[in-house]
Amino acid sequence: MLRYILKRLVSIIPVLLGISVVVFFAVRLIPGDYATVTLGTQYTEEAAAALRQRYGLDQSIITQYFIWLKGILTGDFGFSYISNQPVALLLFSRVPVTLELTLFSLLMAVLVGIPMGYWAACKRNRMPDSAVTVLGLLGISIPGFWLGTMLVLLFSLTLKWFPSGGFVPLSEGILANLRCMFLPALALGVAVSAVVMRSSRSAMIEVVDQEYMKMGKAKGLSQTRLILKHGVKNTMIQVLTILGLQTGSLLGGSVVIEQIFSLPGVGSLALQAINNRDYLVLQGTVLFIAVMFVLINLIVDLLYCVVNPQIRY
Amino acid sequence: MKKRISLLSALILSAALVLSGCSDAPAEYGDSKGSGESDTSEAASSGVQDTSKETDGDQLIVAIQSDPSGLDPHMVTDKAAGICIENMYNTLFTYTEAYGEVAPSLAESYEVSEDELVYTLHLQEGVKFHSGNPMTSEDVKYSIERIMNGGARASQFDKVSSIETPDENTVVITLSSQYAPFLTYLANSLNAIVEKAVVEENGGSLANADAGSGPYKLEQWTEGSSLNLTAFPEYWEEGLPKVNSLVLKTIPDATARATALRNGEIHMIIDAIDQEIAVLKGAEGVTMESVPGTFWEYVGMNCESEYLKDVKVRQAVANAVDRDAINTAVKMGNAEVLKEANIPSTHEYYGGDEVYPARDLEKAKALLKEAGYGEGEITLKITVGSDWQYQVDAAQMVKQQLAEAGIESEISALESGVYFDGLNQGDFDLTICGWSGFVDADEYLYNLFTTGGAYNQQKYSNPAVDELLEQGRSTLDKEERMAIYKEAQKVIAEDAPMAFLYMNNFTVAMRDNVKGYTVHPTATTIFLKDVYFE
Amino acid sequence: MKEFMHRFLHNKLAVAGSLILLLFLLSAVLAPVIAPFDPYYMDSTAVLMPPGGKHLLGTDNMGRDILSRIIYGSRISLQVSLVSVSIATAAGVFLGVLAGYFGKLTDGIISRVIEIMFAFPEVLLALLIMAILGPSLNNIMIAIGIVYTPIFARITRGAVLTVKESLHVEAARSIGVSDFSIIVRHILPNVLAPILVQITLSLAFAILSEAALSFLGIGVEPDIPSWGIMLNNGKSWIEIAWWVGVFPGIAIALAVLGFNILGDGLRDVLDPRLRNVEN
Repeated sequence: MLRYILKRLVSIIPVLLGISVVVFFAVRLIPGDYATVTLGTQYTEEAAAALRQRYGLDQSIITQYFIWLKGILTGDFGFSYISNQPVALLLFSRVPVTLELTLFSLLMAVLVGIPMGYWAACKRNRMPDSAVTVLGLLGISIPGFWLGTMLVLLFSLTLKWFPSGGFVPLSEGILANLRCMFLPALALGVAVSAVVMRSSRSAMIEVVDQEYMKMGKAKGLSQTRLILKHGVKNTMIQVLTILGLQTGSLLGGSVVIEQIFSLPGVGSLALQAINNRDYLVLQGTVLFIAVMFVLINLIVDLLYCVVNPQIRY
Repeated sequence: MKKRISLLSALILSAALVLSGCSDAPAEYGDSKGSGESDTSEAASSGVQDTSKETDGDQLIVAIQSDPSGLDPHMVTDKAAGICIENMYNTLFTYTEAYGEVAPSLAESYEVSEDELVYTLHLQEGVKFHSGNPMTSEDVKYSIERIMNGGARASQFDKVSSIETPDENTVVITLSSQYAPFLTYLANSLNAIVEKAVVEENGGSLANADAGSGPYKLEQWTEGSSLNLTAFPEYWEEGLPKVNSLVLKTIPDATARATALRNGEIHMIIDAIDQEIAVLKGAEGVTMESVPGTFWEYVGMNCESEYLKDVKVRQAVANAVDRDAINTAVKMGNAEVLKEANIPSTHEYYGGDEVYPARDLEKAKALLKEAGYGEGEITLKITVGSDWQYQVDAAQMVKQQLAEAGIESEISALESGVYFDGLNQGDFDLTICGWSGFVDADEYLYNLFTTGGAYNQQKYSNPAVDELLEQGRSTLDKEERMAIYKEAQKVIAEDAPMAFLYMNNFTVAMRDNVKGYTVHPTATTIFLKDVYFE
Repeated sequence: MKEFMHRFLHNKLAVAGSLILLLFLLSAVLAPVIAPFDPYYMDSTAVLMPPGGKHLLGTDNMGRDILSRIIYGSRISLQVSLVSVSIATAAGVFLGVLAGYFGKLTDGIISRVIEIMFAFPEVLLALLIMAILGPSLNNIMIAIGIVYTPIFARITRGAVLTVKESLHVEAARSIGVSDFSIIVRHILPNVLAPILVQITLSLAFAILSEAALSFLGIGVEPDIPSWGIMLNNGKSWIEIAWWVGVFPGIAIALAVLGFNILGDGLRDVLDPRLRNVEN
């Protein structure tokens, strides 16, 4: 198993390198550069050339890539062209927001999605199961960004229970922070919960159908106890995988949700950096998100391997 | 993603004058109890050991629509940055409450030589920068030269031939020729006086530094969230600013802004957009104040493009555009339609010839025919910046209106970067864009309509206009100058390098207890220093 | 085939999904006939009219009829989803077969590329591609197509790997049948089922992606009646005129629901063992 873990760790190195290449060149392929954006209508050749020189944008693209890569490897993500702040610092200030949003959504998926999925599996083909099936389908079909707007309309504008946007850091009061995160987390969490619910349902059904569960039933164990005893353990792997995969789409989905609720997270940083052609910030942000995703999947894989050591690779 | 004012609308206006600071500022950011309405954020209660209870009197929270692009007064061109900067810095002269008028500020008094070429400025004594160092003539000289060498508004100073500093408190500026709008430009809040030593410490960039002498000093800038300023205790204007701390909070979404104001989470919205105005009308605890503004929008026509190089086609477009209909649909009828050029009827230098009194579809068709084009023979490309939804909306109406005159068009809404790129390189036929913050007639016309002018993306060129605008710059007699600009506006309107659309109102929405703020047409926020709570 | 139809028609989900989609297909095809107004026409005298009366679902801030725009919007959504998923399927299946069948270096390279692409959240990747290509209807189809390519490649590769070792493929190879005809005759038919299910699900995701990108303002051209653009517009008017943003959202949800239901149904019909495949 140790060998597998090592092998897996080594195998992500080329992937990470590949990601850095894709990120860098994708960002530089975006038409319109920093100088033209910054100068806007006040653009002149000389001013643009001066700006480009100041930020090393006049060097060859390959050189720029290696300079950047070298920086990343030594923990230096460079500076924002706009505010001159270190990219690492910017990310550092934005990550907690996105992290909180993502965690709340995952929490919702775990607390609501998994139990409902299991419940539906137990009551297969009966009312609760149909209800969960319909809810699950609705959940994966309703666009999160529309749901967000609807939640604002209902809970914020009409009922005035929650703010319609903006962010209050945790340091300024837990309650205020939770209030501003509730609607965004709900908007983002519904789809994930639905996915998790659907897959925990089908995972559990599979387990229930398996022979030993039937045997257990024959021995007179109650269905609930059976599910708790064998089912949960045996479906954990699948559910875990789904959760890992979903984290990626949560990171993506938060781009839109942060936009709707004016949250200063990583996603809105990326959008802002695209608009400003703030290359180093954009590169740093996208790289960060991609690497996060790879690492989460790695962890899921490794957990997989720990939970189920007899799986051979 | 709706930034309200274009980058374009750059040239933010107005100066950052100010008065003196009071006391220290506890400024634990976050508490913002409104006047007892529902839903105030609890914030700030935990963790703050300070026993002093914070009230509205300590902190003013103002919503801005986008993050500032940076804090370097001489480099930035966006509105949000302007609002932040003008509260941190001072200028030699400053706008006054009366639109178009300028009063001394850091320059306490001044003399002009007989030939109107030499300005001798006497600096206000006892002005300190936020670092604690006194402001000297050396800083003034350095600041102006910094603008002239690569600053975003360098062109406003291209007539300055030398700056001398005979002593610590005197600056002598010599111009190469007479220059009527000079003092107005010195009052532009972004042509600020910066502390030389701080600029040098920061390697030449003020993007996230504070080298000002303004009423507020930089405390913390959290990108994407807020810019926190605290009153500068040694501020030179007695008794100002009246509020201990100023928070400029970025809220890009209009609905979120309006809700936050109603809930008392913020105190002011600078430059409320039409949706907000509609929502906030009659809201409890909210006051709105509107004045005719300086943000004007236009349909720009590329005078070098295939069809639009023909003045008749341009005139056809200008006649086919239904300004009133666009105003109704896009601006909820709130804007003032421009019937001549870009100087509005509220401005002293307004021309008054209604070249385009109303839409004239027949005339448009006739002009096209004269130019030799039949129905559907012309297809134009309209580019707009996707960040500015109201301009994207206007483009769609223009498209429909042109189609009625027999001109086909396609719209592409581009991200601001690509958009400006195309605009600068002449890669467009039509565009919808806008500017704001202009004061002097020269500012309205010179850079936009002279041949090769700095902001002349339309590539418009008319030697007669060039001459008029040069004359306007160097004519000091007001009557004479007005006649020159009246003529220039008429010619420009007839040549139609732009179909001028409308001048927007400028609206500030405030909590009822916010008092003392002057809503200024240029949208300047220098008057925030006067604000107090009741 | 006959059996497939039989099972399909007896699957409630599959039928329900098909019915919803049929509704959208009809509205797309018959748009000019059933739409009460020109979806592009701006009537500045009928701005923000509430639902009911002449405009059944009201008008937007520029006086355009919302119902007509939703009806025409189904054309855009269907077009975007069909074209982009076709791109993704073609490219993905091609890459997947290459990787799975030929293995070794080819597989190594393709698998790495797939893995790298998977590292980017879909929305973010689509956003980057759109920023590079610029906003337009064609580009959004390309962008979404690229984003969904890896999933098809991965599924195909997996399926090919299992089929490749099977007896009849071995047999075909041993008697010297060319690689091409082995792929066409023996391998592709066997990967059809999982691909078909994935296509249905991807169609749903493509509709959502287009709407999301247009919602962020980097999607299709602004005057095109795309549901995402309508939502984007509706959001800023939500407090004054809720109908501008509410109805297009319902349309998106319904269409996506149709594809999702059909996908679930197909999965049951084609292969009950595939039940656990999630997007």
